[in-house]
Amino acid sequence: MKRICKRILSVLLVACALVLAGSLVAAPAQALTTEKATARPNEDGGSGVIGGIPTRLTWEGVVEPGEQIASVTLMLPDTGKFDDSTTKVTVLDGLNRTPIEGKTNIAANVLGVELSEPAKEGYKLRLEIEDTVFPPEGGDVVVNGTYTTADGSTKDLAPSKPISTISNTWVQQVVTWLDQQPWVQAWNSNQFLGMFLKPQLIVTSLFSLFPGWLVCLGIVIVAYPFAILLGLVFALMKLSKFRVLRAIAVVYINVLRGTPLFLQIYIMFFGLPMMHINIDNNVLGVIVMAINSSAYLAEIFRAGIESIPVGQYEAAASLGMGRLMTMVHIILPQTVRRVIPTVTSDFIMAFKDTSLLSSVGVMELMMFAKNLTSVSGNMTPYVTAAIFYLIVTLPLIKVVSTIEKRIARSERGAGPRPKAKAANDEQVDEETPAQENGATPEASLASALSAPFKAGTSVFGGVADVR
Amino acid sequence: MFDKAKARVDARREARQVPPPLDPEQAAKEAHERDKGLTKHHFEPHEHPCVRIEHLMKTFDGETQVLTDVNLTVWPGEVVCVLGPSGSGKSTMLRCINLLETPTAGHILIEDKEITGHLPTKEVNKLRQNLGMVFQSFNLFPNLTAKGNVMIGQTKVLKKSKEEAEAEALKQLDAVGLGDRADFKPAQLSGGQQQRVAIARAVAMHPDILLFDEPTSALDPELVRGVLDVMRDLAENGGMTMIVVTHEMGFAREVADRVVFMEGGVVVEQGTPEQVFDNPQHNRTAEFLGSIG
Ligand SMILES: Nc1ncnc2c1ncn2[C@@H]1O[C@H](COP(=O)(O)OP(=O)(O)OP(=O)(O)O)[C@@H](O)[C@H]1O
Ligand SMILES: [Mg+2]
Repeated sequence: MKRICKRILSVLLVACALVLAGSLVAAPAQALTTEKATARPNEDGGSGVIGGIPTRLTWEGVVEPGEQIASVTLMLPDTGKFDDSTTKVTVLDGLNRTPIEGKTNIAANVLGVELSEPAKEGYKLRLEIEDTVFPPEGGDVVVNGTYTTADGSTKDLAPSKPISTISNTWVQQVVTWLDQQPWVQAWNSNQFLGMFLKPQLIVTSLFSLFPGWLVCLGIVIVAYPFAILLGLVFALMKLSKFRVLRAIAVVYINVLRGTPLFLQIYIMFFGLPMMHINIDNNVLGVIVMAINSSAYLAEIFRAGIESIPVGQYEAAASLGMGRLMTMVHIILPQTVRRVIPTVTSDFIMAFKDTSLLSSVGVMELMMFAKNLTSVSGNMTPYVTAAIFYLIVTLPLIKVVSTIEKRIARSERGAGPRPKAKAANDEQVDEETPAQENGATPEASLASALSAPFKAGTSVFGGVADVR
Repeated sequence: MFDKAKARVDARREARQVPPPLDPEQAAKEAHERDKGLTKHHFEPHEHPCVRIEHLMKTFDGETQVLTDVNLTVWPGEVVCVLGPSGSGKSTMLRCINLLETPTAGHILIEDKEITGHLPTKEVNKLRQNLGMVFQSFNLFPNLTAKGNVMIGQTKVLKKSKEEAEAEALKQLDAVGLGDRADFKPAQLSGGQQQRVAIARAVAMHPDILLFDEPTSALDPELVRGVLDVMRDLAENGGMTMIVVTHEMGFAREVADRVVFMEGGVVVEQGTPEQVFDNPQHNRTAEFLGSIG
């Protein structure tokens, strides 16, 4: 993100510089005018100049009329380095090379060039300094310096236009280090490993995909509370005694569960703009995900509520509690405990499903991965994306199974023990349906709760359908 | 769909066959005449029964007639034990009294107020506050502690303050011998303890009448005693009106003011425990008592 901004900034700066160039050149009475100071990109697969890593600095200056220049000294900011540099000095008279040569001497961030004879008026001095190292902290680097005229007086050079550089993060250093490792080279020479698991790309994509991962997380985390609320409303509507409410809920739930999310995304993202309703992509993503999840959650809640034994309603009723009160204080709290595992697995599903939003240009994880893959021509970013998805989903999968176990344990032994056989044999067989419901052995509850993660079983009448 | 409509028509026809409820004064007089030799209850002068069941009829799904014609009166402070074979309609009758089942026909009057017919939801809730119920399967709220179970009716229904409700809950839990288990969840309690919490929950609402539906049938034999002791205490020291469906003959004999034997959806026989147990008038009663031992 930051890097992209910087790049845009640098482009803007260059543009400004070009516009201003003419006016600046004429300004001070200089004997040697700085014409150009540029660096060669040294970013792997990019066009940025990274500090801390050797690159080539090209500097050009022009001798003003009536002046002669004997030597030039360039200076980088303190943390820059010329230590390992080799310099090619070219002095041009118009388009022709002159035989003038230069002798360089280097001291850390200062590089001096002494010409074999003075450069005359109109000559252009070009220094191509290989293995220049810009300050590792990045930022806009201005090349300063001094020059000495033929008559021995020394003056400051006008500062160059800034060269924008990228800081040499530890990521860059790791990549640089990896580049040099023989095992990495061997690894990458294997076609499969190099294509899917290129170490350098894993490292860089971990960072460049991160914003996309945040977008994914952001979308589900914002969408989910709404989905839960909506889901609860539709669950209660479906359980309502009013036929109209039930019908609305059934249509809503079945249409949403019966059509692909992909299609719902298309309808929302392309349909709304056609009606001149323009909503920010991320917000629309949140809305689609919330609506889609709400249908699944409604079914989960409905089934959860229905799984509460009739005896609970009867006990509440016998205390004089009304329907709403019973729902809020007795039924829903128990439902929440029971549906947490199923809701969590639906959350996992929803989180993964945000990937479908990449098809309509939401800048989420898959989108970043797709872009990076097409730039680098390598599948590794997809593998990194997988890692990002797993970072969220694996712990949640673990959470689900832990909660399931805990609930199964805590509810075991609740309610009456299926007992009393010896005491009065005959009536045990013929309990009223309501009593039987209350006395359902807890084993079946435990198995119902763990069902979503056991293949082939359905919890609470089919909410565990595969999406 | 068709069946349902037919059932509704049938129910209406049955309802028409039942005479309207008696005038309170007359009913009290008649019931007194009928019951005075059949119960150990000490009648006050001009006492009115607190539960009056007249020609109660209950049909499920328009076919299975569970209660054919139940007539029963219960007097304030009386302990009535209801016996009968499985499927005789004991639970159904009890559940009709607090409207967990809707009677098909007939009348139930609580303190001379008719509750059958169309009662608004508010009235139903009010009625149920006044009728505590203890279930065979306890039906404690598993998400609440023992204390929470006893408190919730008081705070939500009676709108008592939390402190008040808590004090009452602890008092009632103490009374059933579970003062030290106030913070246990139902799952952490034994069946007998759960049932005692359920009794405390019902009693904490200070109802006029307590209904028990086989409160000890789901319990291990060794846990039955504790629950029965609590019930006996309520009957003898609490002066509570209780209708107890039970198979505990010992309890019925010792605690009941009156024993009612039901079969086939009617009250076959009723009387003091001595009358019913030692000298049953009907063959079926004798057979049933014989089979139970
Ligand atoms: N909701 C219902 N729907 C249909 N039939 C029912 C329903 N509830 C009870 N019944 C039937 O009514 C009959 C009487 O049931 P009830 O529970 O009142 O008997 P009971 O005397 O309490 O028996 P037990 O001693 O076994 O508890 C039974 O045959 C039962 O099948
Ligand atoms: Mg029963």
